[in-house]
Amino acid sequence: MLILTRKLGETIAIGDDIKITFLELHSKQLRVGIEAPRHVAVHRGEIYRIIQEQNQQALTSDVGLSEVWGRLTQK
Amino acid sequence: MRIATTRFGEIDIQESELITMKGSILGFGHLKRFALIVHDQNTPLWWLQAADDPAVAFVVINPFIVMPDYKPTLHQEDRDFLEIRKDEDLVLLSIVTVRSQPFRVTVNVRAPILINAEKRMATQIVLEDPEYPIQYDVLDHKAHFDTWLAKRNNSDRLAMPATSL
Repeated sequence: MLILTRKLGETIAIGDDIKITFLELHSKQLRVGIEAPRHVAVHRGEIYRIIQEQNQQALTSDVGLSEVWGRLTQK
Repeated sequence: MRIATTRFGEIDIQESELITMKGSILGFGHLKRFALIVHDQNTPLWWLQAADDPAVAFVVINPFIVMPDYKPTLHQEDRDFLEIRKDEDLVLLSIVTVRSQPFRVTVNVRAPILINAEKRMATQIVLEDPEYPIQYDVLDHKAHFDTWLAKRNNSDRLAMPATSL
């Protein structure tokens, strides 16, 4: 992992079109601005991971759709 | 063209029917072409089958069916990204997860798949609103589903060409 030290207001450039700016620091909270092209998905790390895991889990169902439908329409 | 699928065997599909993931389904960024498949006309549960990986098929549903008051805030950037100019072209589908023990059906209303139905381009988006859960339990809110069932004809939001098997 590349580790850099930056001051507030300074930036990091990743490739030609991604720019990260370190905006504010309040005790342990850091505000970061990210400029990236729209096709680059930018999310908080934990949200990204949870949704990835959920997508993965969605693939592993062992219940057939007709049974799911049956259960959902049961009175 | 023919695509190989684990669940449905080989299926025939017009290339124009494919949906291009212009962004990605998170964790599946390498898969760019999908077919929207209706296996059973009677149910609102559809399949989003990857054209380039037979084993990858997501069950999807129109999130408005299970959550009638769903009002996701969509960014203009997301519309622009998929070139969505008219609301009629905008379709949202949510990935469904089914577990058997105990039986549970959850719908990811936090990270729906946004589709330009006309141009057949899509991406999974992540809503900022924490009110919309990643695991929205359908059976816990079955009244919504029952309401939809009772008057299912006016679900015009489902209107999007899909591939029937």
